[in-house]
Amino acid sequence: MSTNKIEFDALVMGGGIAGLQTALDLADQDFKVAIVEQDATIGGKMIRLAKVFPTLDCASCITTPKMSAAAHHPNITIFTYCELQSLKRTGGEITARVTQKPRFVDEIKCIGCRQCEYACPVYVPDEEQGGFAARKAICVPFSTAIPQVALMDVENCTLCGKCAKVCPTDAVDYFQKPDDFTLTAKTAIIATGFDFTPLEDKQQYGYGEIPNVITALQMERLLAPHGPYNRVLRPSDGMEPDSIAFIQCAGSRDKSMGVSYCSRVCCMYAIKQAMLLSGAVPMADIAIYYMDIRAFGKGYEQFYQNSKAMGVEFIKGKVATIDPGENGSVTLHYEDQGADGGVKTAEHDLVVLSLGMVAGWNPEGVCNLSTGNDAFIKTIRPKIAPTLTDMEGVFVAGVAAGPKDIVDSIVEAGAAAMEASNYLTKRARKLAA
Amino acid sequence: MADDNKDKKATPGQKVGVYVCHCGGNISDHVAIEEVCKNAEKIPGVIKVQDNAFMCSDPGQDLIMEDIKNGVVDRVVVASCAPGLHESTFRNAISRAGGNPYIYEHANIREQVSWVHHGDQATNKATRLVAAAAAKAKELQPLDPYRVDAKKHVTVIGGGIAGLKSALDLAHRGIDVTLVEKSPFLGGWTAKWDRAFPTDDSVSELVTALASEVLDNKKITIHTCSQITAFEGFIGNFKLTLTEQPPGSDAYQDDIKRWGASEKAFGEFIPLVGICPASIPETTTTHEIETGALVLATGFKPYEPRYGEYRYGESEEVITLPELIRLMAENRKKGVGDTLTVNGRKIRNVAMIHCVGSRQIPGIDQPDAKGKLNEYCSRTCCSATLHAAGMIREVHPKTRVFDFYRDIRTYGRGQEELYEDASGKKVVFFRFEAEAPPEVSRNTGSGDFPLNIKVKDTLTFDEEVEMPVDLVVLAVGMESNDISDLVEMMKISVGVDGFLLEVHPKLRPVELAQSGILLAGTCQAPFDMGETCAAASAAAVKASAILGRGYVELDPFVAEVDLNKCNGTGACVNACVHEGALTLVEMDVNGEKVMRAQVNPAICTGGGSCVAVCPENAINIKGWTLKQYEDMVDMIVSDQILPSEMA
Repeated sequence: MSTNKIEFDALVMGGGIAGLQTALDLADQDFKVAIVEQDATIGGKMIRLAKVFPTLDCASCITTPKMSAAAHHPNITIFTYCELQSLKRTGGEITARVTQKPRFVDEIKCIGCRQCEYACPVYVPDEEQGGFAARKAICVPFSTAIPQVALMDVENCTLCGKCAKVCPTDAVDYFQKPDDFTLTAKTAIIATGFDFTPLEDKQQYGYGEIPNVITALQMERLLAPHGPYNRVLRPSDGMEPDSIAFIQCAGSRDKSMGVSYCSRVCCMYAIKQAMLLSGAVPMADIAIYYMDIRAFGKGYEQFYQNSKAMGVEFIKGKVATIDPGENGSVTLHYEDQGADGGVKTAEHDLVVLSLGMVAGWNPEGVCNLSTGNDAFIKTIRPKIAPTLTDMEGVFVAGVAAGPKDIVDSIVEAGAAAMEASNYLTKRARKLAA
Repeated sequence: MADDNKDKKATPGQKVGVYVCHCGGNISDHVAIEEVCKNAEKIPGVIKVQDNAFMCSDPGQDLIMEDIKNGVVDRVVVASCAPGLHESTFRNAISRAGGNPYIYEHANIREQVSWVHHGDQATNKATRLVAAAAAKAKELQPLDPYRVDAKKHVTVIGGGIAGLKSALDLAHRGIDVTLVEKSPFLGGWTAKWDRAFPTDDSVSELVTALASEVLDNKKITIHTCSQITAFEGFIGNFKLTLTEQPPGSDAYQDDIKRWGASEKAFGEFIPLVGICPASIPETTTTHEIETGALVLATGFKPYEPRYGEYRYGESEEVITLPELIRLMAENRKKGVGDTLTVNGRKIRNVAMIHCVGSRQIPGIDQPDAKGKLNEYCSRTCCSATLHAAGMIREVHPKTRVFDFYRDIRTYGRGQEELYEDASGKKVVFFRFEAEAPPEVSRNTGSGDFPLNIKVKDTLTFDEEVEMPVDLVVLAVGMESNDISDLVEMMKISVGVDGFLLEVHPKLRPVELAQSGILLAGTCQAPFDMGETCAAASAAAVKASAILGRGYVELDPFVAEVDLNKCNGTGACVNACVHEGALTLVEMDVNGEKVMRAQVNPAICTGGGSCVAVCPENAINIKGWTLKQYEDMVDMIVSDQILPSEMA
């Protein structure tokens, strides 16, 4: 990457599904677009999922073609593993200062052959597999990553030199430095997505201390076609669980965690995982502890009713605390709002926390965008122009503007592309006049 | 693209590559991929067989592209999901590698195999489908898509906020728009509300903001009191007939009366009605419109409760939420007291019931006259109800509100606060199961309350609660508008829920299977205003991309006449179902003037009825020739690949 100034019509911050769709919709209208992604691959959270509700399509089948379409679009340039330092608007132009983080692998030379990965002797828990499997200290993040470029994990690298020795293109570079460069454009779209609610804030749920309490994203990996075990096993002892519980609103609608809003997707993904589990572990009892089931999207209510018909048990009640039980089991204490009520306990082999969403990016100190009291980007015309922000020429798409499911994110991404296109057209007209 | 491949010689493929996708486990869990690959190697002409976890991913596509670039293969078969999903993905990959996109054949071994068969049956069927596809691929010829000029014009059907937003977006991009609205007013159902949840925006301001810009924009032509009465053509070149007529004597009369009473001018917002852009026609006129794409923004209608459903229709004290909202808006003009007043009656207790006409369950709820149940959630009613409930408590503190719900679905930004706010304002909640909905009855007991409501409240462990009320408000759901005329005319898909059906909820969420026709807003599913406007803009951006280049490219799978064989019987012309796709024209063949069939590729849809009737086998569909069908059938039954007892 050079330190030159590179010019585009539009900058899209974030290469998840919302950012990709925005970029494609702009590029299909012949605007020149740059996607800036902080991760080493585009695809965002969606590419990490197993299947998606309510169609049960595999997530890869929907995400990878969009990733591929963006990567090959003549009007789209993708910058991965980049940190946005500042985003400013001056004289009708958007300037983004970006730092290319060092991969310690030359992105241009690397051909993704994985020789380095095979040669590397260091095994590290693979976060892409929920920490249940191992990866090497140098590796391509996963098989459908774009770009197919290796990434060195310097925290764990022992500098043994084996990767550099086997690399056929001499791409390993132990001395790579961060590289700053500037992108300029006429408009920008923020599609910075989300993180999961940090469970460290909810000690009552014992995260990190109780081995068979996992996050929904970890369950997603257990169910994924290329998951760590290729089947659903509980992590502590490899036992196939006979009873699995989902705890809803684990990090949403919970003021004790500072997240008072609904995260919109957790009901549906828990139901989806429950349905997939009844295929993967047919003998297991599956229970979902919930406050309200929010199956509001197209086809969602029918999906919910189907899961009930398949035997998934729905227990209305908020789980107060989680404790380790005997032999790796997990004990829930909850207030049952069902037939006879009262405070109850239940034992399960495996417990899944349905984590909510928190904002993936804080604009403070980077640009002048305002956020709402939920920390997501503030929109100024939510009813008739839902992608407008309080910074002229800057639009927002997907979860960056509040929790949303994939369908709603994709549709909103189209809307952001439309608003940005209109802004570009008006701007060009003004300049011509 | 059209001209790049002209020089490619039309020779049968010598080198067929077969690429088999595991689709994660979607296919490989049920189909023995290794077996399929081994069998595929036996197919005549196949010189390369490869499998991948995700053929559609970039590394998967790279496998194909490398083989094309290196001349390893010259015909490609991918065995994966339904072609509707990824046929174009692989055609594009071949193009990028410098190949002709039409040397490609798709074998569906997911929807047609692994999702419906298991074990050996699945593997055998997959093998036979791959064999047939490879046989067909061998006979594929490089083809060029037809490039036809596209009208830089979009017709938007529906003048609610979705239609207004789409029209405006397209006009901003320099595209001419005709906006067609059935009623005399713009603003749709949005204009009939009062304030929008959860922002409390006034709908008059929202509708005015959109409509005034639409009225001022010279690119947009508005036709109110109008409907599409004829439709033909294809993407880029649709022809529509628009009929503008005076509204029937019973249609829109309330709205027209309100308009008269409001003394609002054209272009001004009439509360609870909308904006009238122009005078109501007195005679019927028709217009012909040539248009490149259509945006359907035909909206929804509120569910109309059955007579007797929660005593609706039987008791005047049972009303719907839209009725309540309008009453409250009108009350505000008259000045409000500390108690809500409806039709002169003071309302001390009001009951609000959720999920009326939504989340209906077979065996519990009664279907409508057509046998339809609304099994879906209407998405907006929870927040709308809580917004109204909160407003009642704030404005009329002496009116108590009881809320009967199944699940509170305040999912959106700022909506959970609405729920909290209503709770804070002492709205009292009762939760019921679908099997035991609240019962509304005449109050025969003490007090002067007209109605009683009884419910088994699951929040208090199934305690039976009964209370007298003055008013029952039904939070009715959304139903799709009746647009059966458009559905019939345009041959578009409708889902089991009665709403229009997109191609794919994530891959192509605002497109219909009929190219060039897009979906905006609540004709697709229940949405709130912000979601509707997002969908409207998403539809507009697709239309802008389609028409932006001034041309569209159509697949070349159209009829082709072999002039050496044609002897002008005209059987094909008679059999063709598309006016103008086939004609007999005079031609000069060997110095003789004769009549021969000629194809108009822009109109031909490749239906193939011409092929079936030609006595000389002189007409074929490009890419789908009779020879190819024969080869496919031969290969499906061939025991070269699989012994016939394994069929």
